[in-house]
Amino acid sequence: MERTVTVVPEDGLHARPASLFVETANEFDADVQLGRADEDDLVPAASMLAVTGLGVGHDESVRLVAEGDDAEAALDALEDILSTPEAKQ
Amino acid sequence: MDVTDISTITPLELISLEEPPATKEGAIEFLLDLAVDAGRVDDRDAALDALLEREEDATTGVGFGIGIPHAKTDAVSKPTVAFARSTEGIDFDAMDDKPAKLLFMILVPAAGGEDHLQILSALSRSLMHEDVREKLLEAESKQTVQDVLAEVVE
Repeated sequence: MERTVTVVPEDGLHARPASLFVETANEFDADVQLGRADEDDLVPAASMLAVTGLGVGHDESVRLVAEGDDAEAALDALEDILSTPEAKQ
Repeated sequence: MDVTDISTITPLELISLEEPPATKEGAIEFLLDLAVDAGRVDDRDAALDALLEREEDATTGVGFGIGIPHAKTDAVSKPTVAFARSTEGIDFDAMDDKPAKLLFMILVPAAGGEDHLQILSALSRSLMHEDVREKLLEAESKQTVQDVLAEVVE
């Protein structure tokens, strides 16, 4: 299954949101891949290096593709992270 | 400024083949001092604070034996990337627990917009390739390192 999500955090998929995203992708029994919504290429969501390499900015859209027993739960959790503005201190 | 001009971003003096300190913070200071000694940092303390603040936010140990400490700071006036490598590897708090052997420090001016993210993502994409990592680990001269980096950001 897959879904397209807009990246809300101000710095994009970078720093803490990216770290949280990758940690979360690793927690589920699912293989999750990620790519820019306007491109076909996908990279593993569980790899910080790969996610950093995508360089997705604020307000850009990404495509999440998940397979496995927890695919839907994984997508829900990852969408939640991408949709949450980063808390400013 | 063209951020893809490697001889401007990473002149040979920003490349070290010497062994850096074995701690994360020590290694970050080591990389920073390459840039300081090259006359590219106006305020060492401010640059160090910015780098460490970023590490506190989330580690730049991105796995695959790579650490990419980075910051936007007015302590530099042009995009600067320093390189060093560790034989034993350094604990960079990476999620895959692999010690960082390839170290890159990216500093860009605070007004540099998305320059630092552009450099960071170009570097990360290329480092996903094992052959690029191998070349950097095995390079015997600074020139070779610079040549590999030139291919990376082109």
